[in-house]
Amino acid sequence: QHKLGRGSRDKVQQFMAITGASEKVALQALKASDWHLEGSFDYFYSQPQISVTNSRHLEDLYSRYKERDADMIMVEGTSQLCNDLLVDPQDVVMLVISWHMKAATMCEFTRQEFIDGLQSIGVDSIEKLREKLPSLRAEIKDDNKFREIYNFAFAWAREKGQKSLPLETAIGMWRLLFAERHWPLIDHWCQFLQVRHNKAISRDTWSQLLEFVKTIDPQLSNYDEEGAWPYLIDEFVEYLTENGCVQRNK
Amino acid sequence: QDQTPIALEDGWRDMEAGIARLKRILHGVDGTSFTSQEYINLYTMIFNMCTQKPPYDYSEQLYKRYKQALEEYIKSTVLPSLKSKHGEFLLRELVERWKNHKVMVRWLTRFFHYLDRYYVSRKLLLPLKELGLSCFHDLVFGGLKTTLTTIVIDMVDNEREGQLIDRALLKDVVGIYLEIGQGSVGLYELDFEKAFCKGTTDYYSKKAQIWMLEDSCPEYMLKVEDSLQKEKERVGHYLHASTEEKLLEGTILELISWRAEEILYKENSGCRVLLLDGKYEDLSRMYRLFSKIDAGLFHVSKIFKEHVKEEGMSLLKHAADAANGTKNEKKEAVGSPEQEFVRKAIELHDKQLAYVTNCFQNNSAFHKALKAAFEDFCNKDVAGCTSAESLASFCDSILRKGGSEKLSDEVVEDTFDKVVTILSYISDKDLFVEFHRKKLGKRLLFDKSANNEHERSLLSKLKQYFGGQFTAKMEGMLNDVSTARDHQTAFEEYMRDKLPNHRVDFSVTVLTTGFWPSYKTSNINLPSEMIKCVEIFKDYYNSKQKSKRLTWIYSMGNCNIVAKFDAKPIELIVTTYQAAMLLLFNGSERLSYSEIVTQLNLPDDDAVRLLHSLSCAKYKILNKVPSNRIISPNDVFQVNHKFIDKMRRIKVPLPPTDEKKKVVEDVNKDRRFSIDASIVRIMKSRKVMGHQQLVAECVEQLSRMFKPDIKIIKRRIEDLISREYLERDLETANTYRYLA
Repeated sequence: QHKLGRGSRDKVQQFMAITGASEKVALQALKASDWHLEGSFDYFYSQPQISVTNSRHLEDLYSRYKERDADMIMVEGTSQLCNDLLVDPQDVVMLVISWHMKAATMCEFTRQEFIDGLQSIGVDSIEKLREKLPSLRAEIKDDNKFREIYNFAFAWAREKGQKSLPLETAIGMWRLLFAERHWPLIDHWCQFLQVRHNKAISRDTWSQLLEFVKTIDPQLSNYDEEGAWPYLIDEFVEYLTENGCVQRNK
Repeated sequence: QDQTPIALEDGWRDMEAGIARLKRILHGVDGTSFTSQEYINLYTMIFNMCTQKPPYDYSEQLYKRYKQALEEYIKSTVLPSLKSKHGEFLLRELVERWKNHKVMVRWLTRFFHYLDRYYVSRKLLLPLKELGLSCFHDLVFGGLKTTLTTIVIDMVDNEREGQLIDRALLKDVVGIYLEIGQGSVGLYELDFEKAFCKGTTDYYSKKAQIWMLEDSCPEYMLKVEDSLQKEKERVGHYLHASTEEKLLEGTILELISWRAEEILYKENSGCRVLLLDGKYEDLSRMYRLFSKIDAGLFHVSKIFKEHVKEEGMSLLKHAADAANGTKNEKKEAVGSPEQEFVRKAIELHDKQLAYVTNCFQNNSAFHKALKAAFEDFCNKDVAGCTSAESLASFCDSILRKGGSEKLSDEVVEDTFDKVVTILSYISDKDLFVEFHRKKLGKRLLFDKSANNEHERSLLSKLKQYFGGQFTAKMEGMLNDVSTARDHQTAFEEYMRDKLPNHRVDFSVTVLTTGFWPSYKTSNINLPSEMIKCVEIFKDYYNSKQKSKRLTWIYSMGNCNIVAKFDAKPIELIVTTYQAAMLLLFNGSERLSYSEIVTQLNLPDDDAVRLLHSLSCAKYKILNKVPSNRIISPNDVFQVNHKFIDKMRRIKVPLPPTDEKKKVVEDVNKDRRFSIDASIVRIMKSRKVMGHQQLVAECVEQLSRMFKPDIKIIKRRIEDLISREYLERDLETANTYRYLA
C-alpha cells in the first residue's frame, strides 16, 4: 500500500464526489489516467463494466441488515435480505451472491464482504440487486464459474472450526448445486450416503465428486477403480453396481 | 622329342590294354598289380600325346575318352549286375561296385594325370577324379538312390524291432552317399538324411500310439529314454554325426512333444500319481525327458504346483474337520488342530522340497512352483485361526514346558529353521510376530518357558531372515527377565534386611514398556501382606533407579498359597487375583458377590471369571450358593473346607480371555501407521507421484512385514491429504504432490 500525496488524495475525493463511485474505483481511474482528473473522468465513463455504485448507499444498505450490537450481518439480517429480495433463503442465488462476497460462513457477512461483494456485482441498492438476480442465477450454468462456486460452497457451508462438512448439509448443498446442472446420479448419491456412509464429508471427497460428475459417464464405463478416486466414490460405484443401477463391463 | 608324333589310335590302343588289365585286376582275374614300369609307360603315353604339337596334341580327345572308358565300363558291367539284385543284396553289390569304381578312378587318374596338370585347369574343366566319380553318380547312383534309401530304412526298422542287421554294410552304404557328395554333406542330407529322418518319425509315431495304449506313464517314459539312447548309438554305428541332432529332434517330437499331455495326465500313472506315490526315479526321468522340449518343464512344474497346493488344502481340511470334531479323524494328533497343521505343513514342505532337489535338479521353476503353492494355502485360515496365529501357537507348543524336553537340540533347531521357512510364505508376518510376542510374554511371566537358549535361538533365526526390527522387542523381553533374575538375589537380601519378620517370598519382574505387549490391569485391592511386598520393592527400586516410574500389573502375577483344608493342607498355584480373592476369606467365612467385588474393587467381567475358576471349574475351592455353574450377582460364596485332592500341590487355572481380537486390532493399528509412514517417506523423496505408482511402491516397501490392503492404502492417502501432507496435483489427474 503506497501512501498518497495530499494532491492525489484531493483528486480521489473530488472524483468520488462527482461520480459517486467508490474509493477503489477512483484510485483505479486516476491511476489509469496518470492522475489527471479530466482524463480520469474519460476513463471512468468509457468503461462500461465499472458500474456506478455509490459507497454511501452501500453503507446504508449494510447498516440496514447488520446486527445491532455487532459489526456483522448474521442470520436475522440475512433472512431480512432474502425477504427484501423476494427470494427463498434456500435459493441458489444466495450462494452465488455469497460467492461474490467471498463470504466465510453461511448466513454471515462482514462489512467488507458485504460491501466489496455488492460492488463487484455492480449494484448498490436492493432494486438493482433484484434486477441482477436472473443473471446471477445464470452464472451457475457457466462451467468455470460453477467450479469456483462449487468449491467455494464447501468452506462456506462448514461449521466454524470444523474440517469436514456434516452429511445433511452436504446433501442439501449438492441437491442445490446439481439441481441446475442435471447430474442423473444425484439421487443415488444422496441415498447411498445416507444408507452407507453416515459420516461427515471431507474436502477431498467434495472436490473429487465434481471431477467425477464431470468426467465419468452415467453408465460408469470409463471409471477406473484403480485410479486415485477417494474411497467413498469407489464405494458409491460398488453400490451402484450391486444394486444394478449400472451395467459395468469389468 | 624329335620323334614322330604318336597317332591317337596307336596311343589309345596302349591305354586300352592298360584299362583292360585294370579291369582284370578288379575282377580278381589278374592277381598282380601294375609294376612301376607299366605305370610309367602309361603315364608317359598320355604325357606324350598331350605335349605333341598340334594337330597331334590329343588332350581334348583323351579327356573325352577317359570319361567314355568309365561310362562304357559302367554300362556294360556295373549296371547289369545291379539290376538283377534286390534288398540287401543290392546294397552289397553296390558297395562292391563302388569300391571297384574308386580303384579304377584312382588308377586312371594317375595314368591320365597330365591332363589334370594343364588341360583341365586351362579349360576350366572338371578334374579327372571328380569326373570319374560323377560318372558313377550320374549313371548308377542317381537312378538307384531312392531305392537304396528305402532298403536302408527297412533294415534300420528291423534293427529297431530287435533284429540283428549288418551294420558294417549300412555304414558302407552311407559312406557312398558321403563320398559321392565329394566333401560336402549336401547330397547325403538331400538324398538320404531327409528321408531317413522321416522314416524314423513315422516309425516312432506308430510306436507312440501303441505304447500310449498299452503302457503306464513310467513304462512309456522308460521306452522313450531307451529309444533315444538307441537312436544316438545308431548314429555312431553307421550314420554321419551331423544327423544326430535332427534324428533325436524328430524322435523327441513324436514321442514326447506330441504326446506330452497324454503322458503327464495319464490316468493312474501320470505325473500327479508319481508325486503322490513318491516315485523318485520315474519323476527324475520325467524331468530329463521333458527338459528336452519347449515349455516341457513348465507343464511339469505346473502339475507339481497344483499337487502341492492340493496337498496343502487337504491339510487345511483335516484341520477344519478335527476342529469340528468330525468323525474319521485319527486321534494320533498331538496338540490343537492348528499346531498339527503346522507340523504337517512342515513335513509336506520337506517332502516336496526333496522332489525339487532329487528329481527336478533344483530347477528354479520348481522352486518357484513350490513357493507359489505354499504361499497359496499358507495364507488361508486354519480351522478358523489365521495361519500366523497357528504358527505362533506351534512355536509356543515347542517352547513351553512339556513341549520339547524329549527332543534333541538339533531337532529343535531344525524345527525352528522349518518355522522360518513356513513364515516366509505367510504374508501377515507382523501378525505372527505379535502373537509370538504375546505368547512369549505369557511363557516368561508364568514361568512356562522351557529353555532360554531355544527362545533366543528362534529369535536369532527370525532376525537373520527378516531383520532386526522383527525381533528387537522380544529380545528386550528376554533381557528384562534375565535382568530380573540377576537382581532378585540383591532384592531378597534387601527385603530380609528391612523386613526381618516378613514371611512372604516375593519376586518381581520389571518390564520395559514398549518391549512387552500392553497388559490390562485394574486397581485391585491387594491384601496387606502383598501390599507390604510391593512397598518394599518400590523402596528397593527407587534406591537403584531414581528416574524410572513403575506401573504395577497385578493381573499378570502368580502366587503360591497354602490352603488349610479339613483333610490336609494343599498348596494352590493361582494368579495374584485369585490369591487376593481367596485371602478375603481369611477375614470372612462367607462373602456375597457384591461384597467380593467391592472389597477387591474389581470390574464385573474379571470377578465372574475369577469366581468361576474357583467355584465352578475342576477344583471347587469355594462353594457357591446356588450351586449352578453360572456366576450371578446374587451368589454367595464360602470356603469349601471339605476340599480334597490326592496331590499336595495343584494348579487352579484361570482360563485366559480371548485376546485374538485385540491382537488383530493392534496389528491393524500398527499397519495404518506403517502405511502412513511409508507413503510419506515415498512422497518426500519423490515429491510428485502417480497414484498407481505410489500404491505399488508402498506395497513393495511393506511386503517384508505384511500385505497391505489396497483399499486401506487409498484411505490413508485420503487421510494424509486431509492432514495436509499431500495434495492432489491440479494439472495431472491421478497424481499427488508432497507438501513440505
